[in-house]
Amino acid sequence: MSTEQKLQTAEQLLAPWNKETIRPEENRLDVVIQPEALHEAASALHEAKWGYLSAITGMDMGVEAGQLEALYHFCNGPAITSLRVRLPRAGAVVPTIADIIPPATFFEREIKEMFGIKVDGLAVTDHLFLPEDWPPDVYPQRVDFTIEQAKAMEVSHADQMPEPGRVGENTFVVPIGPQHPALKEPGHFSFTVDGEIVTAAKMRLGYAHRGIEKATESRSWVENLYLFERVCGICSHTHAMAFSMGVEQLAKVEVPARAQAIRELVAGLERVHSHLLWLGVTAHEAGFDTLFMYSWRDRETVMNLLEQITGNRVNYSANVLGGVKCEIGDEQSKAIKEGLTYLETRIRHYLEVVTTDAMFLNRTRGIGTITAPEAERFGLLGPTARASGVARDVRIEAPYGAYVRYPVSLVTETNGDLEARCVVRLKELLVSCFAMRSILDNMPEGPLTARMPRKIPAGETVARVEAPRGELFYYIKSNGGEIPVRVHVRTPSLCNWVSVLEKAVGRQLADVPMLIAGMDPCFSCNDRVVTVEDSRTSENWSWKRLREYGIEYYSR
Amino acid sequence: MKFGTMFTDILASFFKKNSTQLYPFEKNPTPERFRGNLYYDPAKCTGCCLCVKDCPSKAIELVTIDRAAKRFVLKYHMDRCVYCGQCALNCRFKCMGMSNKDWEHAALNKEEFLVYYGKEEDVREMLENISKPPAESEHK
Repeated sequence: MSTEQKLQTAEQLLAPWNKETIRPEENRLDVVIQPEALHEAASALHEAKWGYLSAITGMDMGVEAGQLEALYHFCNGPAITSLRVRLPRAGAVVPTIADIIPPATFFEREIKEMFGIKVDGLAVTDHLFLPEDWPPDVYPQRVDFTIEQAKAMEVSHADQMPEPGRVGENTFVVPIGPQHPALKEPGHFSFTVDGEIVTAAKMRLGYAHRGIEKATESRSWVENLYLFERVCGICSHTHAMAFSMGVEQLAKVEVPARAQAIRELVAGLERVHSHLLWLGVTAHEAGFDTLFMYSWRDRETVMNLLEQITGNRVNYSANVLGGVKCEIGDEQSKAIKEGLTYLETRIRHYLEVVTTDAMFLNRTRGIGTITAPEAERFGLLGPTARASGVARDVRIEAPYGAYVRYPVSLVTETNGDLEARCVVRLKELLVSCFAMRSILDNMPEGPLTARMPRKIPAGETVARVEAPRGELFYYIKSNGGEIPVRVHVRTPSLCNWVSVLEKAVGRQLADVPMLIAGMDPCFSCNDRVVTVEDSRTSENWSWKRLREYGIEYYSR
Repeated sequence: MKFGTMFTDILASFFKKNSTQLYPFEKNPTPERFRGNLYYDPAKCTGCCLCVKDCPSKAIELVTIDRAAKRFVLKYHMDRCVYCGQCALNCRFKCMGMSNKDWEHAALNKEEFLVYYGKEEDVREMLENISKPPAESEHK
């Protein structure tokens, strides 16, 4: 079915509630609906299996307009249908759609806190990523909230975490984090255990939330490119690529073919480094430190290649609006090919290790199994979804940039357990290596950059790229100025957390680190989640009370 | 199902030399494109300030003493720099770039990270101007 047909189907499905149809871009359909009709409209798309809910973008149209907007983006291949709900600034209420689409909870809580759009029927009420004592009725992403106001804000930065302790005869709450030796980034988990078996899982993120989306609204387009590169330290290139793609779409600038090929090449190398890093972390969590050390040693090869091509090891800054900075000459091409030859042999070796090593298989085979329908329901993305047999890969569904010319093949597994996630990622690397070779052999000639205007024409666009962890979603809006009006980023880790929380319940506590590692979480880039699955009421101790108890205990 | 699948890797490593280096006695050569510290040549500069305009981390400031005589001083805040190379890309006269030789960053205080590029007398003049209260606005 072509993109146009898909959009027509969506329009027919949404016809009963449609107030106004907008076609902002060729592949996008915006349908304005009343807030009351949101639930029905969303379930119409959901029941017809028209794509999946990719993100919810909140927007403040300004004090004069007196309006807020919430955009519910549904993606189906390259086609995107957005349900646009217009709301008054005071007393904005939308119904929840989390009852039909569970991952919507995360997105809804984000717009609730950041824009003050009340979500009717949302089960959880505590904060996602704002401090617990953040004043009510202050919404940091509204346009009238200034940086000065944020600086003057007197918040304690202390969170009221559910305290550890005994909650039943054999039931305990085991807290992990926010700072914990087993976590590489800040996050808080609390697992209720009955003996060794996890009975409930809770999590709270937001410790590394820096308000990047708000910060973009006071920086130029070029400055923002480097800001977005720093959203994630591992997939920095894909973030910058997504942002530049969006800005180029708005400016209607055609990026030279050579620049697109180099972008895909760097993205490919980044995937290799990201997945090898992940393999090491997972092996380490499983106690297989030999695999950890050797995979990280081999990762150095790709890090050195990136350094050689771009000049930096982590935030490569290979992108520039309208193209790329780094040329791939004969010298670089030769070095990459040599590196790939070595890496391919190593990746094949690791593939054999993860599928045959008896000890490692004990920790991965049949653990944390997610079936395909479950993966669909949780809205999983990237390798986590593909390990369950869900064919979800933006590079294949909606090829962008050089992926049209140098396609990659889809890798899926059916088991959905941790082993399948290892296999999917490693096989994906072999596919990436193959694609990189074909780019190097057929590199198009031409310039590296196209001229970009400093002022980006007014409009709004969506850029989706496949990051190593899954689909990365950028929504960019310009009003024709030198700075963006709104940029919304939805990172893949945000959608994948459910896999940990749902699957931890019923497993041994010792499997939890592996489950967390299994989805390749990136805390800092998604920092905005809380999910509570503990229905039991238990007594919570505050830090203060715990401290007092400690003093009392030791003075006895 | 096998045991010791990585045993051969370990065994092979016994016969390899250490991969760790004795830094600072032994240094890894940096690649040609490595983005180290910024360098600047006032002789080629026209004072257009395109580099300053696009710097995402506000790491560079250009002080113009005399535009016609090409007397410029570039204040470079090494500690703020994110080494993206946008300034060098923006420069139409190739008066700045990122060095692949000079990249080691360690200092006992923050002041050492502020570097002045320019002719010696220009830098001296600029610093004297800063210490005088009325000329305060000039270095902004």
